[in-house]
Amino acid sequence: MIDDIRVGSLIAYCSVKRGNKKTLMFIVFVLSLIFMNLVFLPSMIGGMMVLFTGMMQDYPYGDIVIEPMDDNTYINNADSVLQKVRAVEGVRAATKRLDAGASIEHKQKVVGASITGLLPTEELEISQYPYIISEGDFLGELSRDEIIIGAMIAGTGFGSEIYDNLGEVRPGSLVDVTYSNGVKRTYKVKGIMEGSFELVDLNALVNYKEIEDVYGLEGSKATSVVVRVDKQGTEGQIKDKIREAGVNEQIFTWADKSETLIKQAMQSMGAIDTMSKFVSLIVGAALVLIIIYINVLNRKKEIGILKAVGITPRSIVLSYAFLSTFYVSLGILSGLILYFSLMFYFQANPVVFYETMEISPQIDPVLLIESIVTMLTLSVIAGILPAWSVSKESILKAIWGR
Amino acid sequence: MIIVKNLKRYYGTGKTAVRALKGVSFEIKKGEFVAIMGASGSGKTTLLRILALLDDATDGEYTIRGLEVSSLPEAERSYYRLTQVGYVFQDYALINEMSAAENVYILSMMEGKSRKESYATALEALDKVGLKDKHNRIPDELSGGEKQRVAIARAIAKKPDILFADEPCANLDTTNSKQVLDVFKELNEKYGQTIVMVTHELWHTEYVDRVITLEDGNLVSDEIKRNREE
Repeated sequence: MIDDIRVGSLIAYCSVKRGNKKTLMFIVFVLSLIFMNLVFLPSMIGGMMVLFTGMMQDYPYGDIVIEPMDDNTYINNADSVLQKVRAVEGVRAATKRLDAGASIEHKQKVVGASITGLLPTEELEISQYPYIISEGDFLGELSRDEIIIGAMIAGTGFGSEIYDNLGEVRPGSLVDVTYSNGVKRTYKVKGIMEGSFELVDLNALVNYKEIEDVYGLEGSKATSVVVRVDKQGTEGQIKDKIREAGVNEQIFTWADKSETLIKQAMQSMGAIDTMSKFVSLIVGAALVLIIIYINVLNRKKEIGILKAVGITPRSIVLSYAFLSTFYVSLGILSGLILYFSLMFYFQANPVVFYETMEISPQIDPVLLIESIVTMLTLSVIAGILPAWSVSKESILKAIWGR
Repeated sequence: MIIVKNLKRYYGTGKTAVRALKGVSFEIKKGEFVAIMGASGSGKTTLLRILALLDDATDGEYTIRGLEVSSLPEAERSYYRLTQVGYVFQDYALINEMSAAENVYILSMMEGKSRKESYATALEALDKVGLKDKHNRIPDELSGGEKQRVAIARAIAKKPDILFADEPCANLDTTNSKQVLDVFKELNEKYGQTIVMVTHELWHTEYVDRVITLEDGNLVSDEIKRNREE
């Protein structure tokens, strides 16, 4: 076997050293495109996943979100929960929120919306809400009778034409809000927020105290407590610590939420991703096989000669396995250079999605390793199969090229 | 050394079968230089390919040093081709991407010799055919005669029991043909190499000990040209 490997590698080495360099470059170029095909789209989809999960962290859920136990509408004594949470090591900030359903009316136009009551100064460390005000200002700690309206329902942002909107609501406009309990309030629009995300731009924000008043809540009730952590990736541990600190409500990390909410939204994307990978793999396998098979056919006479002079079929098959592994390795290397060039380009110039969302492709080392292993496995199979089939033919037929 | 009994080779079956060899029998002694002659289509190349284990006989017996080789499994035939038999093709059959030395020493490597040892063997073989100084040239950089001498060096490097040559001078001019035949003669006379050569050129018989003539798949004459014992 060692002799077979030595002879196989000598044949492969000579073939590369003195073979046609233009053909080699063409094969490597095609293989690099096959590799790109395997990794590029999943990287873009990965970028979308990161964008969406980032938005979930930046707006509704933070890094960790605490919600009421199953049958309860509210977390009772949210201040006590906040106190426990803030005492946990690794927690950067936490705040409470009150969500309510309502309809908003402006000049006889009515839209349904979710209104979040929040503590404006605490949100500076928790969410991006204070930083996405496209017109007007964010709420202040003492803001009352004021509202922040999402751009889509205000009728000013991208997507307004898709959804019902209030028609050109501006800062200073007055809107009537009817809450789910029938209480009606008139608010002055303080600002328009534009987060390029439906969960944000179809919502409205008021001061926490407004919701408390409207629903007559006492004892610091909350529909959620949103937590941010110091270090990304520690959410799981901190979730456990919060539990250990005596918080008995439901605790979710953003990843838990992704599994339920985002995962549903991304399922169709995931299906496209899987199909794309599968098709890329089939196309890649076929192309690698075709390239190596043509290569083997062109060398059929050589294989016959080698057999005729006493070189074992195993050495010949191994030489093609080495050769195709070399081609594919160069293809992967070129593909990686091409891939990283494109990644850096698209990270500097993100793809604009929905006119406002910027998607930067994600470099996923696991995906790269998977693709490299897949390509190398394919190369071995693609090298072995045609060479094995030709090496089994009669010597004379191989020499005659039949 | 070689005993061939009633060797037959048919292509196809039934009435359309082509009978390339119709039952050929002969013996070749160790150290003989034998020419197989005959007109085109007489079966001489078919016979040589069977003797060199590149093709199978339809019927008959074929032994080398008492071993029935025609019925050997492919793996053993491959080993036999590597270690016992040298074959020189009409069109040189060199690997274009290998230098003269690589074309030769690949077989020594296959036999398990080290790279250094294989290279020394290759240089020794190339020296025998007068091409030691061109060991680094690839086939495209060599003349027809030189290519054929490299092919001979490849065939003799492993010191085979028998060297088969299929019209080795067919693509060469007279000068190059003489060079090749001189190499064969020297191998035969100096090293006692058994050589079986297919040719259709009458003047080539001046170099050989014996001429076997085939006609239409039958052996029609077996003539001693030179008795080595004399």
